[in-house]
Amino acid sequence: MISDFCKKEDFPIFKKKFNGKSMVYLDSTATTQKPKQVLDAIVNYYEGSNANVHRSVYKLADDATELYENSRSNVAEFIGARSNEIVFTRNTTESLNLLSFTIGESLRKGDRILITSMEHHSNILPWMRLEERGIYLDYVGFDKEGHLDIEDLKSKLKRETKIVSVTHQSNVLGTINPIEEIGKVAKENGSTFIIDAAQSVPHMPFKMKEQYDFVAFSGHKMLGPMGIGVLFGKYHLLEEMPPFNRGGEMIKDVDFHSAIFEDPPIKFEAGTPNVEGAVGLAAAVYYLKKIGMEEVRSHEKHLTSMTLRKLEDLKNVKYYGPRNAEERGGVIAFNVKDSSNLGNDLESKNVKVDRLYHSHDIATFLDERNVYVRSGHHCAEPLMRSLHLPGTARASFYVYNGEEDVEAFVSSLGEL
Amino acid sequence: MYNDEVMDRYQNPAKNGKMEDFEIKIDEASSTCGDRIVLYIKTDGNGRISDMKWQGEGCILSVVSTDMFCENAIGKEINSLKEQDDLAFVENFPIKISPGRINCVMLPLRAFRRGTKEK
Repeated sequence: MISDFCKKEDFPIFKKKFNGKSMVYLDSTATTQKPKQVLDAIVNYYEGSNANVHRSVYKLADDATELYENSRSNVAEFIGARSNEIVFTRNTTESLNLLSFTIGESLRKGDRILITSMEHHSNILPWMRLEERGIYLDYVGFDKEGHLDIEDLKSKLKRETKIVSVTHQSNVLGTINPIEEIGKVAKENGSTFIIDAAQSVPHMPFKMKEQYDFVAFSGHKMLGPMGIGVLFGKYHLLEEMPPFNRGGEMIKDVDFHSAIFEDPPIKFEAGTPNVEGAVGLAAAVYYLKKIGMEEVRSHEKHLTSMTLRKLEDLKNVKYYGPRNAEERGGVIAFNVKDSSNLGNDLESKNVKVDRLYHSHDIATFLDERNVYVRSGHHCAEPLMRSLHLPGTARASFYVYNGEEDVEAFVSSLGEL
Repeated sequence: MYNDEVMDRYQNPAKNGKMEDFEIKIDEASSTCGDRIVLYIKTDGNGRISDMKWQGEGCILSVVSTDMFCENAIGKEINSLKEQDDLAFVENFPIKISPGRINCVMLPLRAFRRGTKEK
């Protein structure tokens, strides 16, 4: 296992057997499994401290509020931010939608938003909706190995580009983008710089920098429960923004026809918040900190380079993204060539077709061997279009995976 | 993978190929998995299928389901094909289908229903 602080036994789900065999879970990019420590924190919250937060004055409510706010501080400290810069949301998608419906609304006709061709739909669709109002959406391309084309980025950065929103790590190619550099260029241009960190904060040390205006990520992709996400925002920016949702909790004073909103971050947390989610996320953060994020990164890098080496030995397998594990995270999208002969009329016309197995067939084949990988377009269709692919299979790693999982994956794939 | 019946049909489909003298052509694409299938239909003029072929690509399950659909359709009425039950259609497939793959097997029936709406 990765370290003394992370054992497979910490994760109750891995006790589950299918046809008497353990599972090889390689889909942590979609969601991660949860350690007992996180599950216990949630149960303990409900058994010992459950009350609504920020409302009542009795002891139990104070307990709940303290737990919720301590969770916020823990998450803030984890990424090098201040507590009042951390807004709890449902997930990365909601964090980015919050931005679209606040700062996005302040854009005018002719303004531009710059994203990349390797974004997840959650960092495309919230911006695409603004095109209806005459706002332009530009895409930065990438090279054959999946590195972002920085020159293309610079050339597409215009005076009208008000927002630059970039994924830190691609959920398909695995590419780790140079966000420090991109952020600098964006800020020199006077643009607001947003990072989709859904695939980076869980997997590597994340250091907050002056040029980062907003950072979005999800709890469930970092050992925490589903339904809790984070939006970091610089305090002065959060202060200037209008609220996203309105209702309970987020007000200081309400009159018949006017209201004074709470200060950030509460201004953006209308209604009863997901306290169990925040508490579970804080437990996940604690678990990751005990392992150490440097250790998490180097563990995944080791598994990734081991897998890439083995895949290169399988002649019919093609993987996508950088070949160097230094430049990518622990996510490997791949396809497998189908050498069986389909009675396709292209073949009869002597056209050489490099047929690929459909990614769902690869995933079902591996499923029969208890190896769980994702298949399809991974919520990144523009990326698939750029690669001219209908989809790929995808294996991804996290702290609970070991070399034995790589062996099981590659040997099963070899049987195809 | 899967079973011999499925793989035999995948490798040697009975109804794969272009049809020149078709009456109905249905283009079906599933954006979620990149499948692209074209159905060619010929009728006897009285709402009964006299021949049906397909072209395109998809996963093994959608290709096999489409090929079976074309073969089984011959001699049947368009309306009775359209009205068949989804669950029974999936259960008639040679192997058990997991919930995540139902859409693959349903592809030809959905395409057929959509493409013959006003026929």
